[in-house]
Amino acid sequence: MISREEVLNLANLSKLYLDEEEIENIRKEMDSMINFANEINSLDAKCEKLPEINNISNAFREDEIVESYPQEEILKNVDGGREGFFYIKKSN
Amino acid sequence: MKYDLVVGLETHVELLTKTKIFCSCANKFGSEPNTNCCPVCLGFPGTLPKLNREVVNFAIKAAIALNCEVNLLSKMDRKNYVYPDLSKAYQISQFYEPICKNGYIMLDSGKKIRINHIHMEEDAAKLVYKNGDTYVDYNRGGVPLLEVVTEPDISSSDEAREYIEKLQMIMRYIGVSDCRMQEGSIKCDVNVSVKPEGSDKLGTRTEIKNMNSVTFMTKAIDYERDRHIDLIESGEKVVQQTMRYIEATNSTESMRSKEDAQDYRYFRDPDLVDIILTNEEIEKIKKTLPELPDSRFKRYVNDLEISEKDAALLVKYKNVSDYFENASVNLKIPKTVANFIVGQIFRTIETEAEKEKFEILTTPEQLNEMVGLIESGKLTMNLAKKAFSKMLESGKPVTEFVSESDMQGIPPEEIEKMCKEAIESNPNAVKDYLSGKEKALKALLGSVMRQTRGRGNAGEIEEKLKELIK
Repeated sequence: MISREEVLNLANLSKLYLDEEEIENIRKEMDSMINFANEINSLDAKCEKLPEINNISNAFREDEIVESYPQEEILKNVDGGREGFFYIKKSN
Repeated sequence: MKYDLVVGLETHVELLTKTKIFCSCANKFGSEPNTNCCPVCLGFPGTLPKLNREVVNFAIKAAIALNCEVNLLSKMDRKNYVYPDLSKAYQISQFYEPICKNGYIMLDSGKKIRINHIHMEEDAAKLVYKNGDTYVDYNRGGVPLLEVVTEPDISSSDEAREYIEKLQMIMRYIGVSDCRMQEGSIKCDVNVSVKPEGSDKLGTRTEIKNMNSVTFMTKAIDYERDRHIDLIESGEKVVQQTMRYIEATNSTESMRSKEDAQDYRYFRDPDLVDIILTNEEIEKIKKTLPELPDSRFKRYVNDLEISEKDAALLVKYKNVSDYFENASVNLKIPKTVANFIVGQIFRTIETEAEKEKFEILTTPEQLNEMVGLIESGKLTMNLAKKAFSKMLESGKPVTEFVSESDMQGIPPEEIEKMCKEAIESNPNAVKDYLSGKEKALKALLGSVMRQTRGRGNAGEIEEKLKELIK
């Protein structure tokens, strides 16, 4: 089972705070996810190298400018920002 | 005890593409904040990044110019970290299979600074700090970067400086970046360690982040070297950590130690497909590359007999070197053109930034015409220099400032007459010359040159004077 330390490390990297109860729940949930994904390992797959899953490559875009979004639109979800910027208040 | 300094550089070069790396927003410096943005470069869920073909082309150009191999198969990866400059909480970069590997830059000493690899990635947003609060501008988010990573081959701050200056020069020549430190279009992370002189074992390293000035970078390297040596000499250990350079005090301070070293959990970005290149494509791009500065420098010194000092000044900026090339077309002695550029033109230019732009009124064709007249003997060097000052001020051709009669030169009989007059009116100078004072002849020569108003050929006049005095 995934350890308590591993969960705390991931939480720390993701800047998340977890209380005791949540840590235990997440251990169980992550475990079931990992076990689910691990089922792939039980397959007897003979393929030497997994090909590109969609069988496509080189999906490029030409270097041509398309008009960007207006500043108001960009900042709409953050109450308009401040002086055209996203604004982050100093945490105490 | 003596120590060897060991330095490796990771240099981020911002590319001059029209658009960002994964979306079609303009890649432009100095716009109003958050005006070159869209849901892709803001990292909104459900958006799909699509790689700009030009970024790949630029990476291939850089690979060729830096003597690298191009990986025919490369992939994009996610580098995970949480910080306000990156709204997706991951940066799209290349970790497992970067686009170029195994190159080098050769220093003037002949030493090769090996390049481990070059990878493509997106830049993060710009953070502005005011009164402890943070303001975020995503215009820079998604701007394409090449990160050029060296092996730890650099052994002094001078070598680090030369490496960076060469890298800047090459990137500018091939047109992939303007490498302006002050605008942040080239930035360096510096890895520093020291080891006992001659030892094979590398010491513990520290990394100084985000150097955006060559001068401060060299100071930071020297400071960090001394700090490491002091620690070792006093029996302490160098702690592996990330440092920040403080300009005001010329010192470094710790940003974070190894204990909370970043765990980026790199993995393949499932939104982006493989990049598969062919040798034919690479060859085609190779043909579009201009002659590189090292090659030009050698040609100027070896074939055109220009001094190493002047050749270095000419190749330093591509615009200057291109101007020289264009102004030298079909001339017998291109060195004359070099002298006018390094002498008269550079004297009118004050800053390095202006030299880099090299926007001057006189066209290379006009300089070419003037030097052509010198070579055909129609114009003396003296007159040419005077005319050229006026050309540089006005942008007008040489024919505006020298008349037909100036260019026809002075008939030999008139020169002879002037020489005789000079000899008669300067008996003392003649006496001095005859008693072995070679310099005395210069006084006579100067007198005749004044008579000709600079149109005379000094060599011919000098010969004539010697002949008459004997």
